[in-house]
Amino acid sequence: MLNINALAFSYQSKDRQSEPMLFDLQARAGEILSLIGPSGSGKSTLLGLIAGFNAPISGQILVDAEEIQHLRPAERPVTIVFQEHNLFPHLDVFTNIALGINPSLKLSQAQRSRIIQALDKLGIGEFEKAMPGQLSGGQKQRVAIARALVREHSILLLDEPFAALGPALRGEMIELLKSIVEAQQMVALLVSHQPSDALQASETTAFVYDGRVIAQESTRKLLKESKLLEVNEYLGYL
Amino acid sequence: MASKSAYPVLGLLALLVLAPMAGLISVSHLASADAGIGELWQSRYIRRVLVFSLWQASLSTLLSTGFGLLVARAFAHRGEFRLRALMLKLFGLPLVVPAVVAVMGVVSVYGSNGWIPLGRSLYGLNGILLAHVFFNLPLAVRLLLPVWQSIPAHHWQMSDALGLSAWQQWKYLEWPALRETLPGVALLIFMLCLTSFAVVLTLGGGPRSTTLEVAIYQALRFDFDPPRAVILALLQLILCILIAWISSRFQRLPDVEITISNSSLRKSISNQLINTLFISIAAVFVGMPLLAMFIDAINGPLLQVLGNARLWSSAGFSLMIGLCAASLSIVAGWALLDTSTDLALANQKRGANLIELAGSIVYVVPPLVIGTGLFILMMPWLNVFEWTFPVVILVNAMMGLPFVIRCLGPPMRQSKMRYNRLCQSLALSGWNRFKFVDWPLLRKPLGLSAALVSALAMGDLGVIALFGSTDTSTLPLLLYRQLSAYLIPQAAVTAGFLLVFCLLVFWLLETGIGGKSRVEY
Repeated sequence: MLNINALAFSYQSKDRQSEPMLFDLQARAGEILSLIGPSGSGKSTLLGLIAGFNAPISGQILVDAEEIQHLRPAERPVTIVFQEHNLFPHLDVFTNIALGINPSLKLSQAQRSRIIQALDKLGIGEFEKAMPGQLSGGQKQRVAIARALVREHSILLLDEPFAALGPALRGEMIELLKSIVEAQQMVALLVSHQPSDALQASETTAFVYDGRVIAQESTRKLLKESKLLEVNEYLGYL
Repeated sequence: MASKSAYPVLGLLALLVLAPMAGLISVSHLASADAGIGELWQSRYIRRVLVFSLWQASLSTLLSTGFGLLVARAFAHRGEFRLRALMLKLFGLPLVVPAVVAVMGVVSVYGSNGWIPLGRSLYGLNGILLAHVFFNLPLAVRLLLPVWQSIPAHHWQMSDALGLSAWQQWKYLEWPALRETLPGVALLIFMLCLTSFAVVLTLGGGPRSTTLEVAIYQALRFDFDPPRAVILALLQLILCILIAWISSRFQRLPDVEITISNSSLRKSISNQLINTLFISIAAVFVGMPLLAMFIDAINGPLLQVLGNARLWSSAGFSLMIGLCAASLSIVAGWALLDTSTDLALANQKRGANLIELAGSIVYVVPPLVIGTGLFILMMPWLNVFEWTFPVVILVNAMMGLPFVIRCLGPPMRQSKMRYNRLCQSLALSGWNRFKFVDWPLLRKPLGLSAALVSALAMGDLGVIALFGSTDTSTLPLLLYRQLSAYLIPQAAVTAGFLLVFCLLVFWLLETGIGGKSRVEY
């Protein structure tokens, strides 16, 4: 279970300070919570806060009732998959995944087997020795998800990971993700610009607007029946 | 949070710049008490040196930039041709050819006994101009060529559709693009010519053709007149600060780029012929001195020079200076860039730019001024000639810093931008990050930086001329001494040896460190 309570953040530079953002959110294990909202609303910032890339001003991030906001990124039970550059281009698929288990690459036999199993599970078993440059966009993202799988962290953050994929492949990847998240009982947050992704991936979706989660409810209800002006504006109904 | 690795380097740079300047200023008071500072300022000699410095730098800039513009345009309009890559490589050579070696080549071609004698004596303004154009024409070509690449292809197509003549294309397309870059390129070349030392030292014809840099050296080493050296160094410093300030008003220089997409440029036969002619003349101008120097070396007393132990000890010292300066420069450059890229990624661009500018401080405070300051500071306390190597290594490392920042900066920024967060989330830090991420991604620019700084330091005849003694000599200093003693055949062999040595070390470091990159961005 992931709980975000009054998590405040503001971008600061020498000349100016942005309007403070304030997030509240709950996500259950075993399902994907989609985050939708206009560009610049704070979706990726929220993922950055959970991953530890951004430092909050105040508030809490609780994973199974334990606070993690004070931990460094690598100490958090969090794995993140970005839109691109998830893989190091000079390392083969196996090594890219292995770095997720042990950054010094000293692996036990059991850990090696786990990587092979994850690759097989994601249907890319034959690419173990391939370089990222030899893979398609979809295959690269499968490798990134395989790494998330072997890391066995309870939180999976997905920052528009399928933005560069075609509709059929997106659908396929979302189904794959759903099965993994359910099987591993992970908490997954999926940032997407496509309402259709949210419809397919999530029972529940959060709408982020102007640095706040202004709605978190059933995806179908949010996308089809919301009375919120901001949601309808975003969906182009107004 | 931004890395703090830059701060010790910034401190060291500040010390290396401020301490010599403090030394110069403190002695300038002595000068005023001793000889009368006003007298020194008004001395005819100093005025003449100042005027000649500015005059030769202006003419060199005009010739290099003017011809460089014509040749760069010819390259851009000529498009792809078989020898294009080779020609551009040839134009990259002067960057690593030691100045004193190039001087030998220039004398072999244009000297009174050369292939194309230019008058009775080459020594003086003519020789200086020829050598400066040899170095800076290729630089201007390489800096100006990317300007044509920046003109969008559809602008050329539109100009064709509108039936614009070649002159109108120049006026409406090429000149507006060039106008922003040209002043920056010209000022850089002016600064390089103003602070040029080895060329003027070897080709300057006595007091009538002396620049500030050489006059500083002569005041310290021949006349042993520190107050005069101080006045000259301060003058040089003021000029450089002034030019750096003017340069900062113009747009930044483009990155050196040697590929160009110009499929849409118009190609008439007469234009092609003219462009080929310009490129050929420039290639002959750059290639001929190098060829002449090699022929002289082969025809010289090869065995006698190569059998001389002094040559090998000088080569050893040069190699040591080159490798130490490159290592130091890379460590310092990496530290500066580590912080500046972190700041840039955190949107603190001003801080990032300031740190990178600090790395290029050597453009503002010339190495010989730093050397003079250190010489004067150390003189009362230490035997300066016992400190030759640390000082020469330090100053050469500083001279290499702008190259390291230029080579390593863009790929380091790109690598951090792409992989910083991934590394953080995977707990990849310290040695593991360097081994698995930074080294494979950055070894190519690291290799190029090491090769460039080493070659430059090995071929430098600047601070070593000030601090070198009969016991401590580098190859350029040995060559200069042979030239001064009119041992021209021996000097030709030494020059050939030095060039081959520099190119060999350059190649070994570039390929050895750079390796075969497997990175596909």
